[in-house]
Amino acid sequence: MAALCKWRHRLKPAVFFQNAARRQLSDKHDYDLLVIGGGSGGLACSKEAAQFGKKVAVLDYVESSPKGTKWGLGGTCVNVGCIPKKLMHQAALLGGAVKDAQKYGWRIPSPITHDWLTMAPAVQDYIRSLNWGHRVQLQDKKVKYLNLKGSLMDGHTVRAVSKTGKESVFTAGNIVIATGGRPKYPTHIPGSLEYGISSDDIFWLKESPGKTLVVGASYVALECAGFLTGIGLDTSVMVRSIPLRGFDQQIACLVTDYMGSYGTKFHWKCSPSKVEKLETGRLLVSWTDLDSGKEDQDTFDTVLWAVGRTPETRALNLEKVGVKMNRETGKIIVSADEATSVPHIYAIGDIAEGRPELTPTAIQAGKLLARRLFGKSSELMDYDCVPTTVFTPLEYGSVGLSEEEAVRRHGEDGIEVFHAFYKPLEFTVAERDASQCYIKMVCLREGAQRILGFHFTGPNAGEVTQGFALAIKCGATYTQLMAAVGIHPTSAEEIIKLNITKRSGLDPTVTGC
Amino acid sequence: MARQYEEVTVRGYDEFMKAVSQRKGKDVFAYFSGSKNEQGISWCPDCVKAEPIVRGELGYLPPGSVFIYCQVGERSYWKDPNNEFKKTLKLSGVPTLLRYGTPQKLVEEECFKKDLVRMMFTED
Repeated sequence: MAALCKWRHRLKPAVFFQNAARRQLSDKHDYDLLVIGGGSGGLACSKEAAQFGKKVAVLDYVESSPKGTKWGLGGTCVNVGCIPKKLMHQAALLGGAVKDAQKYGWRIPSPITHDWLTMAPAVQDYIRSLNWGHRVQLQDKKVKYLNLKGSLMDGHTVRAVSKTGKESVFTAGNIVIATGGRPKYPTHIPGSLEYGISSDDIFWLKESPGKTLVVGASYVALECAGFLTGIGLDTSVMVRSIPLRGFDQQIACLVTDYMGSYGTKFHWKCSPSKVEKLETGRLLVSWTDLDSGKEDQDTFDTVLWAVGRTPETRALNLEKVGVKMNRETGKIIVSADEATSVPHIYAIGDIAEGRPELTPTAIQAGKLLARRLFGKSSELMDYDCVPTTVFTPLEYGSVGLSEEEAVRRHGEDGIEVFHAFYKPLEFTVAERDASQCYIKMVCLREGAQRILGFHFTGPNAGEVTQGFALAIKCGATYTQLMAAVGIHPTSAEEIIKLNITKRSGLDPTVTGC
Repeated sequence: MARQYEEVTVRGYDEFMKAVSQRKGKDVFAYFSGSKNEQGISWCPDCVKAEPIVRGELGYLPPGSVFIYCQVGERSYWKDPNNEFKKTLKLSGVPTLLRYGTPQKLVEEECFKKDLVRMMFTED
């Protein structure tokens, strides 16, 4: 068998050149569209293309994490991102709700405790049902699914390798790269790779992570630290500089303040220097306080690295084929229609430079791309005013510009910021602290005062923000907001009622009904 | 050619669970159908349609696996939302073809599609 393989490989170049020549003449490819990556973007693009009766294939392959975690079809969102994150966030919120329930009259035996071994398998089972659902959908829509690791050979050819090393070659009229990203490991820190885990692993742990140190201040770090604290685990966050880089900083601080008051420990302006394993099996983390230079140490059961994500481009062979990447980020450079520097090769989702790292934008971009390639459409993806929500214990929903960005673009005199601190009604009887529940609307100062940015912290921030995202996309102004009527009693109505400006210096705390 | 899988026929929830518990560690596929009358015809028309399609793909079952053919009961039993199949096994309709202990399942019209049935039998 090995001899045969060697012979086949030696023959390959000759056959390959023959095939290349033949291909240029005939235009007959194995597939009209071949998608590398079966995540949010890849699946949406392939399914949409298949609707046009095109021959489509998806290659999805998950390289296991350094800790050995693997998962099925669906990409980051389904397996190690949005879905398990939101479910575990919900588990944490429910813990808080049970405590509040006692003030509302429920007789609950205390103390209430959380069992990882009940939650994690339930979440994992749901994820597996999504893997299956995607598999059935692909089959149903006549998209060929291959559990193979793809890489480019030329502008129309993809090499695909199975987990056993078996190679195949496919040709396609069009190729879409949608391989996404994976968590970064700070390999310069001794022990980081051997002893730490990432978001790829946390949702699939067979046992509770126990006392955890989360390193990083991205939304991944804060969301994970948030739900771990919420389910009762001793959780610390180590931040090198600022929280939620890229987000409105005033709001980022409200988010971390809330987490701090609810039990998450923060080590600000600190950086880990090494991770060692003790005889007990626990991890000893040493770190430096970047301001004082002081060294400190503590033991943890788990160290979770959340220090950024790297694009999955290394194994794609992009340079050889001429697909240009941004040297700094490693992401694929794309034009407004998702095209790369090589004709007929496109890139969507997290892998593409300058795009939001979000599921809905990847899905939409994938669908529109398929419609442009195979339908008669010329509609481009609009990446403007994309709403997001950070699912930290105090949720943060936003759409549009941060206050800092609005000032950068229009100057402080060119904008008007309306804001309010409010108290969700549910917090009253529950005797919950609402100090960080806040709303901010950044508007143009002149004329009807178009809304440039919307920021909301509070329960159900995602649900609250979604409707306002549509309004802002339609060009809503503060004048229109003033004419709208709120729904009572809700937290969202406080957005409609915004009237205090930062400029006035008046107290923005909302008073009673 | 010798059959590579074991076929088991059961009636009702208790018999089904007994058959499953006797085959721990095995790859168990189960097909749930409305019960057949004396003429051998089920009250569930979709089950009548799906059965030959599912049976046609049994040759693709992995070696050593188990195929349980389960008649759930009469129409009135099935319509009760509290019947054990609905409550405990979380079945939503008949016919249902599932791989026990996994989220893999095909429900109603999905069972008419032989490529989906074959996919369940042949993929991990």
